[in-house]
Parts: sequence; structure tokens; C-alpha cells
Amino acid sequence: MAMESARMRRVKKEILDCRNDKSSNISIDMIDDNPYHLKGTFFGPEETAYEGGRYDVDIVVPESYPFQPVKMKFITKVYHPNISSASGAICLDILKDAWSPVLTLKSTLISLQSLLCSPEPNDPQDAEVAKHYMTSRESFNETARYWAQIYAGAPGKGGGDASAAGKEKEAAGLSESSRAIALAGLSEEHVNKFVDMGFGFSKVVETLSRLNYRGDNAKNITNERVVEKLLE
Amino acid sequence: MSSEGSDVDFYYDDDDEMIVDDDEGSAISEDDMDGIDTYRDDYAAQPSSSKRKIYEVEFDTLPQEAVEGLIRKDVEYISSILGVETDAASLLLRHMNWNKEKLIERYMEDSAAQSAKAGIAPVEPPPAQIPPSSSRSSSSRSVKTSSAPKRVTRRTTAESALKAKALLTPEPSVEPESFLCPICCDDSQPKTLSLVCDHKFCADCWVHHLKNKIRVEGDYSIKCMASGCTLIATDSFVTSTLAEEPESVERYKELIVRSFVAANKALKFCPYPSCTYTVSCPNAATKSALTQMVPTVHCATESHKFCFGCPIESDHRPVICGVAKMWLKKCEDDSETANWIKSNTKECSKCQSTIEKNGGCNHMTCRKCKYEFCWVCMGPWSEHGTTWYSCNRFDEASGIEARDAQARSRASLERYLHYYNRWANHEQSAKLSADMYAKTEKKMEEMQITSNLSWIEVQFAKKAADELFKCRMTLKWTYAMAYYLQKDNEKEIFEANQSDLEQAVESLTELLESPIEAEDIPVLRQKMTDKTVYVQKRSEIMLEDTAKGFLENRWRWNVNVDGFEPATVLAD
Ligand SMILES: [Zn+2]
Ligand SMILES: [Zn+2]
Ligand SMILES: [Zn+2]
Ligand SMILES: [Zn+2]
Ligand SMILES: [Zn+2]
Ligand SMILES: [Zn+2]
Repeated sequence: MAMESARMRRVKKEILDCRNDKSSNISIDMIDDNPYHLKGTFFGPEETAYEGGRYDVDIVVPESYPFQPVKMKFITKVYHPNISSASGAICLDILKDAWSPVLTLKSTLISLQSLLCSPEPNDPQDAEVAKHYMTSRESFNETARYWAQIYAGAPGKGGGDASAAGKEKEAAGLSESSRAIALAGLSEEHVNKFVDMGFGFSKVVETLSRLNYRGDNAKNITNERVVEKLLE
Repeated sequence: MSSEGSDVDFYYDDDDEMIVDDDEGSAISEDDMDGIDTYRDDYAAQPSSSKRKIYEVEFDTLPQEAVEGLIRKDVEYISSILGVETDAASLLLRHMNWNKEKLIERYMEDSAAQSAKAGIAPVEPPPAQIPPSSSRSSSSRSVKTSSAPKRVTRRTTAESALKAKALLTPEPSVEPESFLCPICCDDSQPKTLSLVCDHKFCADCWVHHLKNKIRVEGDYSIKCMASGCTLIATDSFVTSTLAEEPESVERYKELIVRSFVAANKALKFCPYPSCTYTVSCPNAATKSALTQMVPTVHCATESHKFCFGCPIESDHRPVICGVAKMWLKKCEDDSETANWIKSNTKECSKCQSTIEKNGGCNHMTCRKCKYEFCWVCMGPWSEHGTTWYSCNRFDEASGIEARDAQARSRASLERYLHYYNRWANHEQSAKLSADMYAKTEKKMEEMQITSNLSWIEVQFAKKAADELFKCRMTLKWTYAMAYYLQKDNEKEIFEANQSDLEQAVESLTELLESPIEAEDIPVLRQKMTDKTVYVQKRSEIMLEDTAKGFLENRWRWNVNVDGFEPATVLAD
């Protein structure tokens, strides 16, 4: 009983503290009035591919909190080596063994924010994204920025037009297939080369992603190898 | 394990207590006890169990307290050699995985680094930042003996020694002003505790933290709750903080004992669930020892049998761990081809009606046509029982005759199936025998009520069933061994022993499964007792000769086995 109330007291105080602190730009809200199922929100750090994006994180406060770490995963899709591009699952030490009961929901969200600044590709959650990050940083950043625009509402490359309508327009300007190619971090030229050989579009995108056929790394992969994989 | 005196004391004290407990708890009266003794006399042909046999390994059983005693001895030794408190010595040993020599060497090289790594002292700021002070350095040396040295240098000695003491043994400090615990956000908690790092939290939160780490995560090196702090809670901190939580303290001690045992090759924790005994078996502590013996051991609970050398099976005698492992791997790889053999039904080779095996005996009689045959080879039983029991032998000639590669691979599969078939059959028969015995026992109990037989007089069947189970398991493993034995004179002797034991086992199984009538019991009892004694004798010979063979390096394998000379004649 005492434990239960300590958890409740602590979570309530944390939510309140966060609300009162306007400087951090981090918000924590209840989902369905449940104090143990929360949504945290923060903005992508400046001077990163995630800049200007708004990231929602699903937070579950376990029964033995704060003696056990909170469970967090991204609701907003993120292109990052330590975050699953499919599920939003996060690979971060403080969410596992490095957790300490003095860490708070807010401090954990700040850690997530700084994880966006400094990926740890050697301890990846998403191996394919990590490969992309390791081999062709420029192309990786481009893809991460594109994901931030499409999923997190970050302003477009040109900067100026950050309005929702502007983004819609930009996204609408792309065809379905161009969008899929950009999301996979591939180039239209590469994809078209193999589609023209007669392979299906989605098969080509999937295979080139798996092979990390991006940027300079594409030069290391022979056409034969790609075709071989496409025929598997 | 150096001074054995105290361990033995521990052991016997415990044993005495257990006997007292037994007397209080058991319903067997003095008379019954006498009965058991006479009943044991029936099997006097067996050498007394007090003498160790060649196929048995010497071992000792240690209750958890005895291992705790060994740990204490190491901790005190390190404490006196390095001049640190026992709490610090314990953390240092744990950090160095209980290796005393390595710890002393490393600590002599750099005590500060080791103390920091072991979580005794906070990680020091770079030395340049500490202003030099002659008074501190001279006095810090004087307290070195009573506490971990590095932690003292941070404060003036008199104060710090006091403080260190107070923090190590968590006397609750009453906060003068109201204290808001950063973890539970409660400002009404009367007690706060901290390690030497002085990160204060309320006592309640400490209890929850320690309990969570111990009970949920099975962790015994528990860090301070402050983020990034590397200090580890000492034994005295944990035990005094959890004074009201005896179960957590017990679990904590067990976790430490387990880590100590895991670091010591001569010790093994009993693998049975919720058992806390440790077995000490120094003779089986090396890899090379395991090529010469099968270290079957048990903890103080005799039914907690296990192999000290491997987790394969509690008792895989007579075959050594390495070969048993190889065999299981082979069976796993070939399981699909061999699957059909496990099936419980076969067709009668004469009338093709389906026959289900429902007992452990391999002597089958078709219900329809009364054809008597052997379950294992499906051959007529007449060739088995009276004349040479050839069922355990695989005719290697067919392997030699194989001319082309295809035939050779078929011969190789057949060779494997021959051994696998018998291996699996004995395992299955052992299980079926146990079922069969349960039925017999029920019948015997009924008889005991209707006739004037005593409880003890109907126990002969149990003895037979127990012996059969044991011998079937031994036989099972003899087939794994025979599969890998190089064909030579030694293998022939091995297979002759195997065949003798197998015949004795089949004959006793048949007797155990025969119908029982109350008036026949005295005769049956004599017969079964005689046969049981004979089975025991055959089993002794099998186990003894195989064990001797390992010691004498007599066995040659048809594959390369770790720790043996390379095989000269490879199978297939
Ligand atoms: Zn507290
Ligand atoms: Zn601390
Ligand atoms: Zn046990
Ligand atoms: Zn073994
Ligand atoms: Zn038949
Ligand atoms: Zn047979």
C-alpha cells in the first residue's frame, strides 16, 4: 500500500513539476486519465536532422516505479540507429540496467532528446538504419530529415514555409513511389535502374535497403550482387 | 577449502540435527526400523555402501552456512592482508570474482583504482584538484588499517573516519530540517540512509530499492540510488537496512553464495529447484579428470543426484561426460530419421496385427497368433532367452561388406539406428517399469490387507523395480558408449558385460510383470530377491570394469574425443 501511494505521489509531482517548468519545452500528459500511461512530447534538437520535429513518446509507469525503469517508446516515427524504424522501441542504457530511481520522466525524456543528437550506432536498435548511418552519413541525414518532415512535422529543406499547408503541398508534389524511395533513404536513379530490368518496385526498394545501397556504399555493391539478391 | 576441520564440523553438526528431525517427523516405529534392517540383509551380497566403489567419486555436501563460512574465511584473510574492513574486503573479492591472488596483486599495484572499481570508494577527481596537505596525508596513513584507504583522503581524518564508520553501518541519521526524499517525494520520512558517498534517501526507499534488486533482478551488487554513483551497498548496509525483511536477506546471502560457488571449480550448487546445498568435488574439478571418471554426486538430499561434470543427465554412468554429450548431439541431429523407433506400436512379424508395448519387458507375445518375439529386433524370442542373447550386438560385417558409398551411408545409418534403438528402448522401458511397478505396488498393498503378510514382506518388489530403473539407465548409456568404441577386444568384453546385464534385467522385468497371487508370494519373494541380487552383481561388474577401463586408459574410440589420443580406426 505504502509503495502504491509513493508511486502515485511521485508521478503526480513529476507531472506537475513538468507543467510548471516552461523552460524545458517538454510536456507530459495523461492518456485516458491514467496517471501510469502517459504521453511525453519534446522537440527535435537544434542543428540535427530532427530539428523542428515534434516527437511523441508513449510512457508506461511500471508498478514498482521508481525502483524499476519506466517503459518508453516513440509514437512518432523516427529514423535513428537506436530507435526501431518500425516499432519505435528505444535502445538506451538508462531504460535498462543504468536506470536509477532518482531519474525522472522529464530527465529521461531529456536523455531521449540528447540521444537524437548523438546516436550510438555500435549498440543499435535498428541494424539497417545503423548501417546507413555508418556508411553514408550525408544520405542518412537526408533520410532522417525527410522522416522528420513527413512524420514529425518539421519544416521543409528550404526553411521558410513551415506551415502545415506548405508541408502538405510539398508532400503532395511527390508521387507515391518517390515518397517510398525517399523514406527508404534510396535514390530514384538506383531504384529505377533495377525496376527497368523488370523487377517489382517494392521488391527493389526492400532489397536495396537491406543491402544499404546508398551514397558511396552503392559503389561497393555490384549489380550482379543486387540481381542475385533480387532473385532470391 | 584449505582447512578442512571446520567444514567437517559444520557438516556433521548439520547431519546430527537432520537425524533428530527425522525421528520426530517420521511415523516409522522402532519395530519397523528392525524390519528394514532384516530386509536389507536379503541383499547382503552387496558390499557395504560405506566403502567407496571404483565408479564412485569422493565428494562432500555443504549446507549454505558452510559455504558462507568459506566466504567469511576468505573475506577475513583479505581484510587482514590488505588492511581493509571486512565489508570492503567482501566487495573487493566480489569484484575480482573471488580470486584472492589476483585481488592482492592488483590491489598492491593500485589500491585506489581497485577500490573505485569495486564500488567501495567514490571515483576520485583527478589528483591535481586535491590541494596538498601534509597533515592529511600523514594521518590518513594511520587509519588505513581500519577502512578503505582512498575514501579517507578526501576529508580530514578524524572527521572522515568517524563519518565513514557511521555511513558504513547505516545508523539512521535524523535530519535536523525536514528532508524531502527525491525518490518518494515524501518529506515526512523520519529516517534517512546513505552509503559513504553521502547520497541521502529515506530508509523506506532504500528498503524498496534493495528488495527490488535482490528479489526481482537477482542482483547482489547493488549500486547507490543516485544517478551515476558507482558505490555498492556493503553487506552490513544491506543486512541492517533489510532487518525487517529476513526473506530478502536470505536471498541476498544465497546470491552471494551462488556467485562464490560459480567462481570455484571444485564447487557446484545443487541444480534442484529451491535447494541451497553445495557439493564439493575437487577430484572432478579439471577437464582432464572428466576423461577418467563420471562424477555422479548428490547433495544432502540423496534423491538430488546430478553430474558434477555436465548438465546432461543426473547419472550417465558408465560413459564419460564428453562422449555422452557427443552422443546426444548426434541423436538431436538425426532425430527425424530415428523418430519412428520411439513409436510405441509395432506390427507382429508373423500376423501383422498391431502390438502395443505396455510394459518394460522386451519379451513380447502376440495376442492374436501367440508368436513370441523380441521387441527390439523383432526376432523370435527363442533365440534370445535360452541361447546367446545377441540382441545387443550390431553385426559390423555388414558395414565392411558395403561396397559403394551409398551402401556405406546406409550401413552407417543402420549402425547408428542399431545403437539408438537400444538406447531409446532402455529409456522407455525404464519409464514403463516405473508405471508397471506402481500397479504391482497397489496389488501388493491389497494383498497385505487380505493376507497375513507384513508391510516389509511385500517390499521386495519395490527393491526390484528400483534396481531395474537404475540398471536400465546404465544400459541406456552403455549403448551410447558402445557406438563410439573402436572395435577391438576391449569392446568385446564391454559388450559381453552389457549383454549379461541386459539378460539379467530382462529376466527380472519379466518376473516383476508376471501375475501375482497371494499364496505364491513367499516363493516369488525368494525368486525376485535372488534375481535382484544377480542384477546388482551384473551392474556392479559393468560399472566397475568400465570405470577401471577409463583409469587404465583402455578404451579406444572410433572418433576423436577431447582428452584422448586421436582415433586410429574411424567409424564409417
Ligand atoms: Zn523516499
Ligand atoms: Zn551515492
Ligand atoms: Zn539438493
Ligand atoms: Zn556428466
Ligand atoms: Zn501375431
Ligand atoms: Zn532382440
